[in-house]
Amino acid sequence: MLRRDTIFKGAMLLPLVVLCGYFLLLVGSQSAFFSMTDFLEQIGQKDIRSAIALSLIAATASTVIAVIIAIPAAYALARIDFPGKRLVDTFIDLPMVLTPIALGTLILMSWNTSIGRLLSDIGITLPFTFAGIILAQFTVVVAISVRMLKATFEQVDPRQEQVARLLGCSAFESFLHVTLPLARRGILAAIILTWARAIGEFGATVMVAGTARGQTATLPSSIYLAMSMADLPRAVTLVVILIGISLLVLFGVRMVPESRG
Amino acid sequence: MLRILALLTILFTIFITPALSATAKPVVVFAGSASQPPLVEAAKAFEEKFGIPITLHQGGSGAMLSQVLLSGQGDLYIPGSPDYMDKARELDLIDGEETNLAYLIPAILVPKGNPLQIRTLQDLSRPGVRVGIAEPESVCVGLYAVEIMQTNNLADKIRPNLRGQVESCAKAAAMLPLGTVDAVLGWREFATWNPQAMEAILLKPEEIPRLAYIPAARLRQATNPEGAEAFVTYLKSEDGQAIFRKWGYFTAEENARMLAPSARIGGTYNLPEGW
Repeated sequence: MLRRDTIFKGAMLLPLVVLCGYFLLLVGSQSAFFSMTDFLEQIGQKDIRSAIALSLIAATASTVIAVIIAIPAAYALARIDFPGKRLVDTFIDLPMVLTPIALGTLILMSWNTSIGRLLSDIGITLPFTFAGIILAQFTVVVAISVRMLKATFEQVDPRQEQVARLLGCSAFESFLHVTLPLARRGILAAIILTWARAIGEFGATVMVAGTARGQTATLPSSIYLAMSMADLPRAVTLVVILIGISLLVLFGVRMVPESRG
Repeated sequence: MLRILALLTILFTIFITPALSATAKPVVVFAGSASQPPLVEAAKAFEEKFGIPITLHQGGSGAMLSQVLLSGQGDLYIPGSPDYMDKARELDLIDGEETNLAYLIPAILVPKGNPLQIRTLQDLSRPGVRVGIAEPESVCVGLYAVEIMQTNNLADKIRPNLRGQVESCAKAAAMLPLGTVDAVLGWREFATWNPQAMEAILLKPEEIPRLAYIPAARLRQATNPEGAEAFVTYLKSEDGQAIFRKWGYFTAEENARMLAPSARIGGTYNLPEGW
């Protein structure tokens, strides 16, 4: 029996080991192009520092907005019955099916309509601005947030909410004090995935916000610009920075609940 | 949540606000990748000299044109080749005449040291040589590559060796340092961007049917036409042209002509059937 268990565990672990090995190979493959001198020289450059800041701020802002909107939207899809729910549920997935470049194109087109022009006339312009990056990332990631959070809320036992209601809680209070705490882990997972998808977003961002160095060029856009100049040392530096920052933040966020618990 | 917002505000203040607080109205430029290195340098020099900021968006010439068209924004369009300027004109996006900033010369690009000893166009047809070009239907440098192969009656021989037909001029330049091909039929100027990684093998003058150039023109939708005009004037001035020359571009027709005396400059070429 014990032997069979070991074989089972081994069979489960093996793909994980292979996958990690493959990712390590991918990450390590840039070592031929990596030079510490180049890295240190480039990391001090203004446009690289700005790309780091832009990426961090935009990904965090778009994640915050996406999650704030996705929590009630996902809850509605999970718990409230309304006409056309199935259609709405499918429609929400649209950004996941469309490629980011198509989404970016649609956003640009929407700002070239009469409403968009009206907004531009009163000074609200999103294309090719910092806010454009957030809009593009939000559009790409919000559906992921809704999808993950819907699954999370569906896993929360509705009887626990009903008990809270019987004990005198309003629907809002039961949502706040029962559903949200029970969904905590799922919400955290949704935040992590949304943020990770946002910081690596390229297609829609480059379409909506462009690639202006120091103004709208995020880390992925800067990697694209470096590749456009066949400047591999710079591209590798940026990839290393993106990997480093992302792993640091994702690992950090995963550690938080454990340290509190 | 409050902590995150506070952190965002601090980061925004430190890194973004200085970039947004420039007083003069920026000139928004959409440029193809073929002029990326000199334009980045020229934009910086122009900003320092005149205090007018340049917002430089760069990518494939076609992608830039789509963004100009879809967004209704931008002051200046600098595609990587004259074909896209013609397209922009057909779309009624261009205001006034175009200015020719520098020339692009077709050449064979090989890794530094030329390990396969590729010396001529014929060498690209040798068995086992992996050749890269840009996609000829949508990328200008790809169309030039096909025209060269066809004109020199080598298309059938080189075609079996074609390994990558990439979607942008810039990606064509990056294929060599990445080691995905042994030679690229591209612009000679790719090698001057990255001399540590590649070198250009010049074609025989009679093998080059056509040269390209980098045009710049003001967009009809420009909200800063004076700034756009000032930047073009700077790019065409001795200082601006020196930056292009520093990056290995020919800025005078007679110099470009030395490598291809009988070549046409710009113009069109219809992609033959079957490509």
